[in-house]
Amino acid sequence: MEEIERLKNENEELKKMNENRSDLISISAHQLRTSLSALKWTFKMLLNKELGEINEEQNKYLSQALISNEKTIKLVNDLLTLNHSDDTSIAFNFKQINIVELMNQVILEFQGEINNKKIDLSFIKEDIRIPNINGDEEMIIVVFQNLIENAIKYSQVNGDITILFDHDELTDNIKISVHDQGIGINKDDQIKIFNKFFRAPNAVEKEIIGSGLGLFTTKSIVERHNGKIWFESSKEEGTTFFVVLPIA
Amino acid sequence: MKKVLIIEDDNFLQDLEAAKIKKSNYDVIVAKTGEEGMSMIMEPGIDIIILDLLLPNFDGFDILKKIRETETIKKIPVIVFSNLSETKDIDKAISLGATEVMVKSNFSLEELIEHINSTLA
Repeated sequence: MEEIERLKNENEELKKMNENRSDLISISAHQLRTSLSALKWTFKMLLNKELGEINEEQNKYLSQALISNEKTIKLVNDLLTLNHSDDTSIAFNFKQINIVELMNQVILEFQGEINNKKIDLSFIKEDIRIPNINGDEEMIIVVFQNLIENAIKYSQVNGDITILFDHDELTDNIKISVHDQGIGINKDDQIKIFNKFFRAPNAVEKEIIGSGLGLFTTKSIVERHNGKIWFESSKEEGTTFFVVLPIA
Repeated sequence: MKKVLIIEDDNFLQDLEAAKIKKSNYDVIVAKTGEEGMSMIMEPGIDIIILDLLLPNFDGFDILKKIRETETIKKIPVIVFSNLSETKDIDKAISLGATEVMVKSNFSLEELIEHINSTLA
């Protein structure tokens, strides 16, 4: 009995520490974002010549500063999402969710980028009804956002992206795949792709803004849904990410 | 000229927001604390409010609640413009009647102006 009591107390103590850590991250992120917003708006103001003419060299350095600032904003955003998804003391809000609707919503969100790169995106749901799954809506949206964002980022102009949803009735799982014809993931980098803060060199070259937390977070969310994530990739054929999520 | 009330406690952000909105042909008034915000929302002729959430004294949620509960001003559109982005904060702002919630660091001031224009269109 005494041992159970001790473990209970320890557990409470750990929960409290975790909550404090989460609060600290939230507050720090808020403060960081305040400074980052100020920098972003000032750089933009200068670049837009709202405060007077700037020369070519000033333009070059200000543009670099703006990109650097955007990278930090992305890092803060990703850290906040990770703080939520990776902290098992923060309960996920599991309920019945319609993942087809969520995917349509995410595609709409990225429509601007899709149009800019003239990407032909197809969302295929086979001829079957995709059942609802038991999941955390906000977190599944993050999974879809990360997969679609990557597919767009690493696609060439005029590339194709294919999203496929399938219901495996035997295992009662939903299999989702997102295929792009982009730059692919080099063989040597494939083992590290889900590591925290890892970005493959060809990915950095293609798209400078990125935190290296997106796929780590995605994997963590999928696993908290008792699902699986993996990929197939080659330089010639691009990359396909697969996610399997149980219905119940 | 339409009148915009900015409630923002960070001096620098407040300056940048006010300068940009003024340049877009709006009349701008600024409140620097929650307390000032609480009294300035009652000023006549305000067409839209840009509201931060973390403020000294009264926070943005208190101000939003007050706006929606006060008959004479309850229809004024309120764009919550804050760096809080957690779902609980966004849901709370929406349930209290925010017209829109924008995370500052994810938007440029040009985009804020676009949202003001379209809200007032």
